[in-house]
Amino acid sequence: MWMHKVSRVGALVMGALLLSCAKEGARTSGPSNELLVVGYDREPDTLNRFSTHILEDVQTCVIEGLVTNDEQMRVVPLLAERVPTLENGDVVLRPDGGMDVTWKIRPGIKWHDGVPFTSADVKFTVDAINSPDYNPESTDGFDRITSVDTPDSLTAVVHYKEPYAPYELQFVRGALPKHLLAGRNIDQAQDYNRKPLGTGPYRVAEWKTGEYILLERVPDYWRGAEYPRIKRIQFKFIPNTTTRVNQLASGEAHIVALVPWDQYRRLKDTPGLKIHQMMGNSYEHITLNQRRVVAFQDVRVRRALTHAIDRELIARTILDSLAPVIHGPIQPLSWAFTDSVRTYPFDKAAAASLLDEAGWKDSNGDGIRDRDGKPLSFTLLTQAGFAIRESVSQAVQRMLKDVGVDMKVQLVDGTSISSLWFEGNFDAMLHWWHMPADPEITLFFASDRTPPAGRNINYVNDAALDRVMYASDREIDQTKRRKLLVEAQQLLAELAPEIPLYNVTRLDGVPSTLKGFKGNPTNTGVFWNVWEWELP
Amino acid sequence: MTATLRRILQAVPLLLLISILVFALIHLAPGGPLAIYLENPNVTPADLERLRRSLGLDRPLPVQYLSWLAGFVTGDWGFSFSDGRPVMTRILERLPATLELVTASLVVALLITLPTGVIAAVRRRSAVDRAIVTLTVAGISLPAFWFGLLLQLVFAVWLGWLPSSGRTSLLSSGFGDRLQHLVLPATVLALLHAAAWTRYLRSAMGQVLSQRFVLAARGRGLPERRVRYHALRNALLPFATVVLLDAAIMVSGAVVTESVFAWPGLGGLFTEALARRDYTVLMAFLMLSSTAVVVLNLVADLSYRLLDPRVRS
Repeated sequence: MWMHKVSRVGALVMGALLLSCAKEGARTSGPSNELLVVGYDREPDTLNRFSTHILEDVQTCVIEGLVTNDEQMRVVPLLAERVPTLENGDVVLRPDGGMDVTWKIRPGIKWHDGVPFTSADVKFTVDAINSPDYNPESTDGFDRITSVDTPDSLTAVVHYKEPYAPYELQFVRGALPKHLLAGRNIDQAQDYNRKPLGTGPYRVAEWKTGEYILLERVPDYWRGAEYPRIKRIQFKFIPNTTTRVNQLASGEAHIVALVPWDQYRRLKDTPGLKIHQMMGNSYEHITLNQRRVVAFQDVRVRRALTHAIDRELIARTILDSLAPVIHGPIQPLSWAFTDSVRTYPFDKAAAASLLDEAGWKDSNGDGIRDRDGKPLSFTLLTQAGFAIRESVSQAVQRMLKDVGVDMKVQLVDGTSISSLWFEGNFDAMLHWWHMPADPEITLFFASDRTPPAGRNINYVNDAALDRVMYASDREIDQTKRRKLLVEAQQLLAELAPEIPLYNVTRLDGVPSTLKGFKGNPTNTGVFWNVWEWELP
Repeated sequence: MTATLRRILQAVPLLLLISILVFALIHLAPGGPLAIYLENPNVTPADLERLRRSLGLDRPLPVQYLSWLAGFVTGDWGFSFSDGRPVMTRILERLPATLELVTASLVVALLITLPTGVIAAVRRRSAVDRAIVTLTVAGISLPAFWFGLLLQLVFAVWLGWLPSSGRTSLLSSGFGDRLQHLVLPATVLALLHAAAWTRYLRSAMGQVLSQRFVLAARGRGLPERRVRYHALRNALLPFATVVLLDAAIMVSGAVVTESVFAWPGLGGLFTEALARRDYTVLMAFLMLSSTAVVVLNLVADLSYRLLDPRVRS
C-alpha cells in the first residue's frame, strides 16, 4: 500500500521533470551581439588586475592598460598616445645611471563613473604598489621606480633608478583609480576588487559566485558610441575541461579559450564553431637538474639526451601535428627570436657516441649505461592527470632506453609540482614555462637566479651566458638588445641546459560568425581587442 | 537525557583531535598557498616573502594553529587566501546550492530505493530480485565523473534536452530553468546512492523477514501486507543511520559531481581551495564536514531511541 503510493509519487515527479525538459526543447541561443557566452576554466580570485594571478581575461574587458600586447605580442599603445622609446625621446638615460620614461595619456579618457583618467592615477598606482600597505601579486619593475612626476594631467614621468629594459610593459595592467582608492586598504576594498572601475568597453554587471560574471557594455566608450558591438558577455565558470568542451559542443558556451589538443579532432567539424589556432608564448621542455644529477653536468650527456629524443615523431603522433618542435626558450612570436642556433636532430648514433665519449658505457650488459659502477639513471617529474604529458613521458622513456639511459617517471599534482621545483627537489622535469611578453631570460638561466631568486632550475652556471643576458636586460635600444639576446640564444643552444620540445600552440574555440577575433599569446588574453568584435 | 548530554560532550574532544589532524595534514601536503604565484615569472622572491608574511605563514605552525582555533570557536573563520573575502561568507554563499542538490538527490534516491529494496527483499532470488541486484552492482561501480560526462554527452550535446552544467541560465530564468539544471547532477548523485542503499535495504529487510516474530505474525494469520509493513519498519532503523551518514558526507562530498557539473556548491569550493591550498577555507570546510558527520551520527543514535522502543528503555 505504502510502497505503491511511494512509487506512484515517484512516477509523477519523474514525469514532471521530463515534461519540463521537453517543453523547453532547443535550449540554447546562438551567439549574437546581444550575448556572448564564454566557457571559462576558473573563477577569478579578484578582478583587481594587480592582485590577481596569471589570467586576466575578464579584467582585460574592463580595465585598460597604457599599452597592450597585440596578437603578434607587439606592444601597442592603448590609453597612452604612443609607446615611449629612445627614438621618440620619451625614454631618456640619465647621466647618473638612471632612466626617465615619459608617458603621454590619450586626452578625453574617462573612468566609467565619468571622472577623467589622468597622470595622477598613474602616480597613485606606482605609490600604492610600492607601499607596504598593499599586497599586489608582483612588484616587478615598480621596485626600481624612485618617483613619478606629473607635470600636467596627461603626462607622467616615471623615474627609474637604473635602466630597465621591459619598461614598455610597466603599465600593461593599467592603473588604479585614485579618486576611489586613495587612503583605503586596497586588499580589502571588495567594492573595487569585485566590480572594478575601469575605462574599458565593459563593466561588471553581476558576479554570481561559483557561477558566472556578467559584463555589460558601457554606453559612452571612448573609441566611439558604436563600440563595443556585443552588448553582454557572460563568463561561465566551468573548471572541468571535458564539461567545458561539452558546453562548446552543445552551443551553451560560444567561446572556450585553450581547448586541449586531444579534443581538437572532436571539435573541428562542429557546425558554427571555428578552432582558431596560433603559436603560444610558452614552451614545453625537459629541465635537467645539474645540481641533483651529476651526469647532467657534462654537456656531452645533455646533448646526447637531446639527440636521443625523436621530437618530430612526438609532435606528429601524440600532439597531432598541432604543436611545432622548437629549439630554445624564446618563442618564434618574439621580436628577439632567432632560428640560427645549433640544433640536435634525432640521431641515435650521435647520442650513443657522445655518451661513450663521456665515459657512460654498458659495462655489465644490463642494457643501461654506467660509469664508475653507477648506472645512468634518473627520474622525470611531471604533472598527473595531464594526458598529453603522461604520453610524452612514456615516449621519452622508451627513446632514452634505446640509447641505454634509464628514466623513471613520477607523476605529481600541479600544486605540489610547483613547490618541488622551487626547492630543486627533482632530477628532471617535463613542464612548460609561460614566458613573459618581454624576452627577458635572465630569470631562467642566470647563475645567480637559482631558486628562490629566480627559476634557473637547470642550475646552469656559465659566465659568458650570464654576461650576455645581463647586458641585454640593461640595454634599452631594441636593435642592440636583440643582438645580445640572439647571442644568448646561441650560447644556450651550445650549452643545451634543457631539452626544448615544442611550442605550446593555442587552440581557441570561437563562433565561426565572430568577426574581429585575433587571439593573443600573452597574459592579456584573447579579449584584448573585444571592443571591435562583432557577431551577426 | 544525561546519556544524550554525555554523547554531545564526547564529541568535543573528538572534533578537537580532528582539527589538529586536519591542520597537520593540509600543512604536510607539498605546495602551499604561494605555489600558484610561481606560475608568474614576474613574481619576484621579495614578492613571495611579502605575500607569505601578509598571509601569516611566516609564524611557527603551532602558533598558526592556536590562532586559527581561537578564531574558529569565536566565529571568526578568517579570510580566504584566494580572494580575501571572509571564509564564512564564501561558505554560506555556497551552501544553498549544495543543500538544493543534496535534498533533490536524497528524495530521488529514496524514491528509487524504497520500492526496489523492498521488492528485492520480498521476492528474494526471483528474476526481479536478480535484475535489481545486477543493476545495483552496475550503479555502485559507475564512477561519478564518467557517468556525469556520459549523461552530459547524451542529454545536452546529442539530444539538446537539458543544460550540460551550471545552476541557472541567463536567458530563461525561473523554476523550470532551475529544475532543468538540477536534473543531471541530481540523477548522478541519486543513482550512485540508490544503488548502495537498495542493497542495504534489501539485506536489512531480508534479515528481519527471517526473524521469528515475522513467522509468528504470519502464523497468527496477519495479512502479508501488514507483515511486510512491520518488517519494513524494523529494517528502516539501520537503514536510516546509513542514509543520514551518507547525507552528511553528501553535503561535503559531492565534490566530483559538483565539479563535473560546475555546480556552485561547497564541493566546487573545496576543489578550488584544495588546488590553491587555501588553508583558511580548507580548515573551515573540513571542520564543518567533520562536525556534520559527528552531529548526524548523534542524530542517528537519537532517532534510534525514537524509532525503537527497546533502545528507549
